[in-house]
Amino acid sequence: MKKKKKHKSLVMTNKMFWFAVPAFLMYFTFWIFPVFQLFRYSITNFNGINRNYDMVGFKNYITLYKEGTLFHAIPNTIIYAVVLVAVSNIIALALALLLNANIKGKGIYRTAAYLPTLFSAIVIGFIWSYVYMPGNGMIATIMDSLGMDGSKFNILAGFKSALYAIIAVDIWKCIGTTMIIYLAGLQTIDSSLIEAGKIDGCNGWQMIRLIKVPLISATITINVILSVINGLKAYDYVFIMTNGGPGKATNTLMYSVYKLAFTEQLMGKSAALSVVAFILIIAVTICMLIFMNKREVEM
Amino acid sequence: MKNKKIKAGNLIIHIILILYSIITLAPLITVFSSSFRTIKNQASPLILFMEFSMESYKAAFTKMAFPVVFMNSFLTTAGSLVVIVIIGAAAAYPIGRLQTKLSKFLYYFFIAGLVIPAQMVIIPVAQMFNSLNIPYTRFTPMFMFITCSMPFTTFLYAGFMKGVPVEIEEAAYMDGANLFKRFTQIVFPLLKPATVAVVITQGIWIWNDYFFPMVFITKSRQFSLPVAMIQFLGDRENPAQWNVLFASCFLCALPLITLFLIFQKQFIGGIAAGAVKG
Repeated sequence: MKKKKKHKSLVMTNKMFWFAVPAFLMYFTFWIFPVFQLFRYSITNFNGINRNYDMVGFKNYITLYKEGTLFHAIPNTIIYAVVLVAVSNIIALALALLLNANIKGKGIYRTAAYLPTLFSAIVIGFIWSYVYMPGNGMIATIMDSLGMDGSKFNILAGFKSALYAIIAVDIWKCIGTTMIIYLAGLQTIDSSLIEAGKIDGCNGWQMIRLIKVPLISATITINVILSVINGLKAYDYVFIMTNGGPGKATNTLMYSVYKLAFTEQLMGKSAALSVVAFILIIAVTICMLIFMNKREVEM
Repeated sequence: MKNKKIKAGNLIIHIILILYSIITLAPLITVFSSSFRTIKNQASPLILFMEFSMESYKAAFTKMAFPVVFMNSFLTTAGSLVVIVIIGAAAAYPIGRLQTKLSKFLYYFFIAGLVIPAQMVIIPVAQMFNSLNIPYTRFTPMFMFITCSMPFTTFLYAGFMKGVPVEIEEAAYMDGANLFKRFTQIVFPLLKPATVAVVITQGIWIWNDYFFPMVFITKSRQFSLPVAMIQFLGDRENPAQWNVLFASCFLCALPLITLFLIFQKQFIGGIAAGAVKG
């Protein structure tokens, strides 16, 4: 009873923190602590199984640098993230603006755009392997029937095209969610502001550019941040559809981390690459948060 | 005059949306129609719905041992969701209610983990399982499903918690309800929209995730649905196997699609809730 006087509120006491203990313990043990472990493993020659490993200093980092793993994995990941963020957000926002208009059959279009989101990445990988397949695949067959030479179509084998082909799959999958979030944002706009715009003589495009988009800047921020995080984690379709190939053209950071650890059993090296990736991800996130916060205030 | 203009505008919107829907759905429809072919039928999959046979589905059903893997997927997903809702909502209670430094720290602590990719921490996590003597069973991936769901779950619950008036809790306090009772009988029931949103968003990714089960499960009887699909990996290059592969793709996605079509409103609302509340 004496203790209670110390708190500001009798109802909301610090005892509440006990509620967070199970989640905290679990989250710390299986998510945050392992990240710190990575820093330790990155200076060893640990192979992932044998616990008798030696400290090797910065050797892992130096090999990564010398072999050039960094120089294709980092640019690939950044291209992946940038293209994914730009294209998926522009298409999703455009779709949401169209669907927000008062038209019939809205629900059907929304369902169509959302459906790909429900499939597992592994299933999507299979379906798109068929779509991109040279010779018998969907795109090749359509090209044939249109009189173009479909037999030359082999997008996943091209050094320049493979990465973009994979990004396209990811865009196809994630537009649904992004669009739904934009749609929800658009529906929060006060209709009196739209009316005011109409009275002032805004045409459709001005309405979008000067009223609707600025008013959903918070939604844009969230969607952009979510897709950047998604893009930097790019792994699924590389693993299922190309295995990083042709050559190293589609090797992303996370796929390289996985491959070093599981296929080549070089856990030390994989951990070193993880540390590099971790620093990159943190740097990008912080820059983005600062930039986005500034923009939102300006708007 | 103006009416005509609006009608023409709507027509253009419809044309754009129809084109977009066709492009989006084309791969799904083609694959769906091929899955209803007999296994031997190798005509171009673009000839839609040329026959209707369940042969490929039967083959896929036995090849992936559907009843077993379905049950594995169902148990791990449902089990994870129950734990996620309980410990996630509980963790959000102090985060959403208190304005201390510790509660702010917890908020950012949970959110920060969102940027960490699973591929990065998977080996240290496996080491952790070994040192804690956690055996590898069909339920082992649940640890990771629950852990990875914490950022979004606590974030969402904390956001919704602000909409539950403090006065209700104060009244309950006056009536002699202790902290535990207040949370379980007053606050948690009022957070039902958040619970729906958490179950839907986390349920979708957990059901579809193949990475954690792939790493932690080696026995085929313990596979979840998406992992059972990985054994088809060799078949995707071989057109002779396509019909069975496509049938298995739809077997894998069918449970979620069915749920989506029944609870469409909740799905759309749940996905939007997370972003709008934040």
